[in-house]
Amino acid sequence: MGVIRFDNVGRVFGSKAKPFVALKDINLEVSNKEFVAIVGPSGCGKTTCLRLVAGFDFPSSGRVLVDETEIRRPRPERAVVFQQFALFPWKTVYANIELGLRNQNVARAEREDRIRQILELMNLEPYRDHFPHQLSGGMQQRVAIARAYVLDPEVLLMDEPFGALDAQTRVVMQEELVRLARRNPRTVLFITHAVEEAVYLADRVAIMTRAPGRIKEVLDVRSIREAEKWDSYEKIEDVMDLESFVHLRTHIWRSLREEKAAAAA
Amino acid sequence: MPRRLQIGGATILVLVILWYLSTTVFGLIAPGRFPSPQATIDALGHVLFRGYAGGTLIEHIFNSLRLVILGFLVAVATGVPLGLLMGWNRTAEALINPVFLIIRPIPPLAWIPLAILWLGLGDSAKILVIWFAAFVPSVINTYAGVRTIEKPVLEAAAMLGTPRLRFIREVLVPASSPMIFTGLRLSLQASWTTLVAAELVGAFYGLGRVLNVAQQDLYPGMILVGMIAVAILGWATTKALGKLEMRALSWNQAAALAGRG
Ligand SMILES: Nc1ncnc2c1ncn2[C@@H]1O[C@H](COP(=O)(O)OP(=O)(O)OP(=O)(O)O)[C@@H](O)[C@H]1O
Ligand SMILES: [Mg+2]
Repeated sequence: MGVIRFDNVGRVFGSKAKPFVALKDINLEVSNKEFVAIVGPSGCGKTTCLRLVAGFDFPSSGRVLVDETEIRRPRPERAVVFQQFALFPWKTVYANIELGLRNQNVARAEREDRIRQILELMNLEPYRDHFPHQLSGGMQQRVAIARAYVLDPEVLLMDEPFGALDAQTRVVMQEELVRLARRNPRTVLFITHAVEEAVYLADRVAIMTRAPGRIKEVLDVRSIREAEKWDSYEKIEDVMDLESFVHLRTHIWRSLREEKAAAAA
Repeated sequence: MPRRLQIGGATILVLVILWYLSTTVFGLIAPGRFPSPQATIDALGHVLFRGYAGGTLIEHIFNSLRLVILGFLVAVATGVPLGLLMGWNRTAEALINPVFLIIRPIPPLAWIPLAILWLGLGDSAKILVIWFAAFVPSVINTYAGVRTIEKPVLEAAAMLGTPRLRFIREVLVPASSPMIFTGLRLSLQASWTTLVAAELVGAFYGLGRVLNVAQQDLYPGMILVGMIAVAILGWATTKALGKLEMRALSWNQAAALAGRG
């Protein structure tokens, strides 16, 4: 299972005298094995949403539920890929990925097996004994993704996971993620700045307003993807050329541009 | 030989020549105030082979080194865990911090009379004084190390479901280890300072005892031998700790290089 539900969620930071409303009236349901992307202007509260589901932070009002139970603390079933990687710099790539499996008491042989697979998938095999600081930003991000993937979690929470990658690697990772999502579907909450990425990857895209962050609009990408048979195309650029894709992308762009203009005004 | 060592060696050689010239050759410094190289070597032979102030040089060195290492280990074994606890647990921090506010301003050497009063001139008084002096830097720096750990790293450990003991061993301690080692280095320095001071005040053996007796005997050569022995031992133990640090923080070395590169 892995149903996420935001039920009238609000989050207020700061003091009583000087409150800062980061999130307001957030209502969103992510059904089991659904891939939902959140886009929105910087500082609108995307990371805050994700932290509430991870169990790192708690709502000031309303409730955040996973499978109809309120979230009390972080759990490996809700694996997080952090915006700033958050790797353990004193552990090698291998040991970073291994920690979660050891915590679940997975036997050594199976650990090795699963880590070898994930390293291969992420093109990290040659770096298994490197320390994070010996890797480029993109490679570190792939380690962070591998560390979450390897747990095979019910829910994947990804905070701009491809933000630090160069354009080519980014595309490879996106295609890989789609393949993975089709083969082994998970519930995914995915935050991004990149509109195309959201449209390409997600079943639904939620657009947020600038602070105080609300959900402005939720677009159903999946029905269009299925109707227009996006999955029959091998490459991301072929999908990006389709009229249906361009149409959706432009719609989201406009919506975001309105927010930026409003913020500037 | 590396160039740095060559230059260092040359500097020391020049200093020794100047020392020789100003004492033995030109007599600029009176022998009663500062010993000549010859007088120093004689004193070294004296304490090495015949013994002085209750023992041979090797015995004095062994005794001082043993106490420093014991005191240092006791201080570290208590200080680091307490620092971890204070950094991690708000209640512990609130309980223990006031004690530190009172104890910290007391210079470690000021504990010596009390320690001797309680425990006499033997080993236990010295270890107690070293413990008082070396404990504080270990606690403070470990505590600061824990407080400066980046939050996402802690959250990642929690998200991965890391059990408590493993969290302490594999996350909390390594994450604070650069600061812990800073604390250890300061603790080691404090250990030497307080030990020599304590031995100066009262001891049966040890390098501080050598210094004290030589001063009473108006024996400058022996005073210098004692000082040089303390310097060499202090340098050697610091070096050994540095080696350990290099090894434990090799991942951080890489970080430093990456940051510079
Ligand atoms: N712990 C906190 N204390 C106070 N304010 C906070 C805290 N966490 C977030 N905020 C504020 O809440 C707002 C939303 O932050 P959040 O990190 O969720 O934005 P974001 O949408 O992820 O932005 P970005 O796209 O730049 O990552 C910001 O204005 C931020 O300053
Ligand atoms: Mg963010």
